Amino acid sequence: MNIKLLLDWRLHLTVIVTSMFAEWVGIARIPLGPGTLLLLPLLYAFVIGVLFNPHLFSAMGKVIPKPVSNAAGPIILIAILPFIAKFGSTIGPAIEQIIAAGPALILQELGNLGTMLIALPFAVLVLKMGREAIGATYSIAREPNIAIISDRYGLRSPEGIGIMGVYVVGTMFGTLYFALMAGYIASLDILDIRALAMACGVGSGSMVAACSAALAEAVPASKDELLAFAGASNLLTYATGLYISLFIALPITEWMYKRLKGSRQEVSHENS
Amino acid sequence: MKTHESPIDQFDAEALKELRPENQLGKTALVLAAVCVAAWFSNIVNGSPLLDALPGMLILYVMVIIGLVVGRFCPFYLPSVAWVSLVSIIATLPFFPGNGWIIARLAEVDFLAVVTPVLAYAGLALTGREFAMFKQTGWKLVIVALLVFTGTFIGSAVVAHVML
Repeated sequence: MNIKLLLDWRLHLTVIVTSMFAEWVGIARIPLGPGTLLLLPLLYAFVIGVLFNPHLFSAMGKVIPKPVSNAAGPIILIAILPFIAKFGSTIGPAIEQIIAAGPALILQELGNLGTMLIALPFAVLVLKMGREAIGATYSIAREPNIAIISDRYGLRSPEGIGIMGVYVVGTMFGTLYFALMAGYIASLDILDIRALAMACGVGSGSMVAACSAALAEAVPASKDELLAFAGASNLLTYATGLYISLFIALPITEWMYKRLKGSRQEVSHENS
Repeated sequence: MKTHESPIDQFDAEALKELRPENQLGKTALVLAAVCVAAWFSNIVNGSPLLDALPGMLILYVMVIIGLVVGRFCPFYLPSVAWVSLVSIIATLPFFPGNGWIIARLAEVDFLAVVTPVLAYAGLALTGREFAMFKQTGWKLVIVALLVFTGTFIGSAVVAHVML
């Protein structure tokens, strides 16, 4: 990628103005049923970013030309790193609490297998999806998971189409959904808030950011502890996620799919 | 089976290459400086004034660079994000020299303010292909995706809740 495009001043200035505006608007709380929806500045920043996106509104090409917008793609991966460093700095001081919670922290990694528990039966039985459902539900469909599917089935296979669909939805709405869902579930006060913090560590930088930020805003008194747990869990997912999805999640999803589909329908996916 | 390169296959190669910011350290260092400036300004509103937050932002910058360098030269593969977290965890451990000073400087940088620009970049970066794929994917995969996210969150939360 061309360094001039990566350092284009219009891109970074737009981001600065957008972020400062979003921060200035601040956090909004909307009561909904038994809980509360939290709207965070990161949500406004994303929406404003989309509105300035020249691929959606070609008139915006005057502010941000398309090549500059394309350069923003690789920048995201770099932009998340200072945040990851800030996040890690919440773990160090809380190391004793984290070690004390060690067993819970390690075992909840298995909860990441929950991706297919509700979604796969729903996809197969209700939506009548074929093998797309395997790619779509075996993981949260971030880059390492795509690499596994691409390696095993190819991305033009039904499994590949499934994971790319979830990847795109995740890219567009995953962060926002995690922020809303986590904040809402926390406001219901059913599960231990520290357990929710650990559950935020799904192995995606921006999702864990939104998720734990929402929790921290829902229970400001335990902010530091919650961030530390979320960060530790996310780090654990970075380290183990690839192996869990390859050696445990994918075989289980295949097995569940066969059980749900029944053996005689297995050939029908060929023409999908 | 494959007769020509489809956009999806290109995406594959692209995504995997982009996944490794540690492989182009020079460029990454410059881009990192730009995104740190964005975070630094974003931090003014709910965090600290520019000068107060400067040492904290510089610490974050240095931590990221150290993490990337370690990731670049380490004989086995861990994602660069994992290395960056490890560097920052170690630097803030109770027995690390100067940890109190590092934590105090980093306290000037607001947690949320650092994420806000990332999402602004993300909104600006969505490609025509992603908008098109999203239309094509249809509502079924949107529902499935939301169930996938809900499932992993609830799954992990229930296990952790029982264990705590």
